[in-house]
Amino acid sequence: MTDDDLVFKALADPTRRHLLDRLFERDGRTLTELESELEMTRFGVMKHLRVLEDAHLVVTRRSGREKLHYLNPVPIRLIHDRWIDKYTEHRVAALADLKTELEETA
Amino acid sequence: MTTMTAQTTQVYQLFIKATPEAIWDAITKPEFTIRYFHGARVENTPERHRGYGPNGENWGDSPTLEYDPPHRLVHGWQSRYSPELAEEPESRVTWEIEPQEGGYCLLSVTHDQLDGSPKTAESVSGPGWMMVLSGLKTLLETGDVLDPDRA
Repeated sequence: MTDDDLVFKALADPTRRHLLDRLFERDGRTLTELESELEMTRFGVMKHLRVLEDAHLVVTRRSGREKLHYLNPVPIRLIHDRWIDKYTEHRVAALADLKTELEETA
Repeated sequence: MTTMTAQTTQVYQLFIKATPEAIWDAITKPEFTIRYFHGARVENTPERHRGYGPNGENWGDSPTLEYDPPHRLVHGWQSRYSPELAEEPESRVTWEIEPQEGGYCLLSVTHDQLDGSPKTAESVSGPGWMMVLSGLKTLLETGDVLDPDRA
């Protein structure tokens, strides 16, 4: 799988998006903290975090005995640049052309 | 959307298809940084981390804490490009370059010790570092400058 595939796969799950939202609010959280906000077993949360780590959407750092989870926003930004900018620009350009054409023929 | 309090430790990671040496040069030499670092000429020596604006203004002058080319660079950070931010205490930026398979490197940037610098944390978070890092990736992989209007 390419990096993009891993990111799309990671984002294609509501629990994982929920975990990202929790980390967006405040990152540097432990597994125990993240687990306490979800109706899910510790093992389940770990599995989801692993998928997010594989996609580099979550990066872990050790602090003493604790493993802290951080949101890495770069992959989403790169997907945005690659997939969203391109199509929205195209659409905006098409609308601009339409406006010009309609106004000229009016 | 939930409002965000900017984080006191921020971690950014990305893959770049370039050698560790090329990435090191792009991070530490002003002729490269001017093309992706919000127009700043940044110079990292084993002693100092200095940044200059387009007219030679002092945008940063902090100690280099670790200097291990082409693997690891740690330096202080003070946002002198804004008088308001310049009043906040110094924070810390760590660059780590780890070679991967297939000619890629994993670049990690950690901006921490921001506890006493909430305005700086807000200013560099999200698009701040992101524009720098995606610009760095584009420069190294294609030789192009990302969105020159905003660079």
